[in-house]
Amino acid sequence: MNEANYLIVGGGVAGTTAAETIRTNDKTGSITVISDEPYRFYSRILLSKPNFFLEKIPFDQVWLKDESWYTQNGINLLAGRQAVSINPQSKIVALDDGSKWHYGKLLLAIGTCARKWGVPGADKKGVLPLRTLDDAKEIISRVKTTKQAILIGSGFISFEMAEMLRLAGVDVTLVILESYYWEPLLDETSGRMIEKVLLANGVKILHKSEVAQIEGGEAVEGVVLKDGTKLPCQLIIAGIGVSCVLDWVKSGGVETNRGVLTDEYLQTSAPDVWAVGDAAEFNDIVIGERVQLGNWVNSQNQGRIAAMNMVGQKQAFKLVSFYTTQGFGITIGFVGNVRVTPDREVVARGSAEEGKYGRLILHNGKLVGATLINLAGELGLIAKLIEKGADLSARKKEIAGLETNLQTLI
Amino acid sequence: MTVDRNLCIGAASCVVAAPTVFELDGENKAVIKKQGGAKDSGPAGKEELEDQAIPYETLLAAAQSCPTKAIIIVDELGNQIYP
Repeated sequence: MNEANYLIVGGGVAGTTAAETIRTNDKTGSITVISDEPYRFYSRILLSKPNFFLEKIPFDQVWLKDESWYTQNGINLLAGRQAVSINPQSKIVALDDGSKWHYGKLLLAIGTCARKWGVPGADKKGVLPLRTLDDAKEIISRVKTTKQAILIGSGFISFEMAEMLRLAGVDVTLVILESYYWEPLLDETSGRMIEKVLLANGVKILHKSEVAQIEGGEAVEGVVLKDGTKLPCQLIIAGIGVSCVLDWVKSGGVETNRGVLTDEYLQTSAPDVWAVGDAAEFNDIVIGERVQLGNWVNSQNQGRIAAMNMVGQKQAFKLVSFYTTQGFGITIGFVGNVRVTPDREVVARGSAEEGKYGRLILHNGKLVGATLINLAGELGLIAKLIEKGADLSARKKEIAGLETNLQTLI
Repeated sequence: MTVDRNLCIGAASCVVAAPTVFELDGENKAVIKKQGGAKDSGPAGKEELEDQAIPYETLLAAAQSCPTKAIIIVDELGNQIYP
């Protein structure tokens, strides 16, 4: 039986930040990090950036820790191993190679997986998600010989890949189920603003469309859509979302929903087990509800807070996180909780005509989230307003106009 | 301290780590808040920052939090400290 005072499942930003924070606060406790990818900590967020793909950013910039960092800090990295079961009573995690680890404190920083695409032919070469460094490496090598590419899905991945592929001189067709980009997370005005720049840069968009079959031999040569349209292509990138593989966690008796459930201290239902990052569905005390977020800043800061709690402190996680992207000259930003449920009210700020358009999302008058097109500069202020629980119900008219400086509301 | 605008992708981890020092500009790139209201990518010395009281450790943590290593910190003699 192997032993670790601190066992961390997941070697991404949440797991690695946690390992680093534990080491800062506990100089002697043994730390083992298990990663199902055969690599040390790298920048997953860089993987979809056009400058990285087009090698304007050197490939080695992707590594965020040297191998020597692990040895110098006494952090044992088991790369290329997967955890397969957990027993919180006996405090044992089993790995896919049959080995067993007994832990003192356990952190689940297990992330998410790219959702499997069930279309016939999706196993052909050149049909890829973009989730791991290996996916990115394969796309980088395939882009060089690709004339026509198809992007599936309307989200961050397709948006960033569209710019990369156009810069590389590839013909791009975007196949989306929705009637406008990023429906229903964005409203139609925002979606059309994004489509406008995609179209202006030569991306073809097929709405309400779905791939019926992928054609080719060993490698992809084209697709047939459900309406019978045939499109030739040598590369398909499927940005169809992510899902958590939680069966092994659940069967150990740790409570799960869409993600692993935690309280505001990021502690799960099992003693001495914490969960962080994309896979954690945590109690968000800023907005008073349970949420699951998939972004770098959230994962990084959760890793830090869970680590503090694992070394014996009691810190609640409190953060308004955000994620942004830019491409084709526009910026897209998401702050806080951007899901518009029936109990939410949306106040528009700016307009498509002005080229700047935001949606401020209120719950009982209080700001809980926002989506921003070309308003990246207001992201910090909006996060501050959300954190303060600012009641904007009496100021809706004011915030609709871009001339109102949001600073005055703080 | 300098922000390399070619590397910066607007992940804004620095804005979370040191909100009195960093914010995103209209192009979604991190800028440094200087005394007198100026904001740019630097280089900026610690004495030029709007937040004079910020501990060095917080600035280093902000740089280390960047997923593209776009924040470069050098000492008074020009020796690179991070990355």
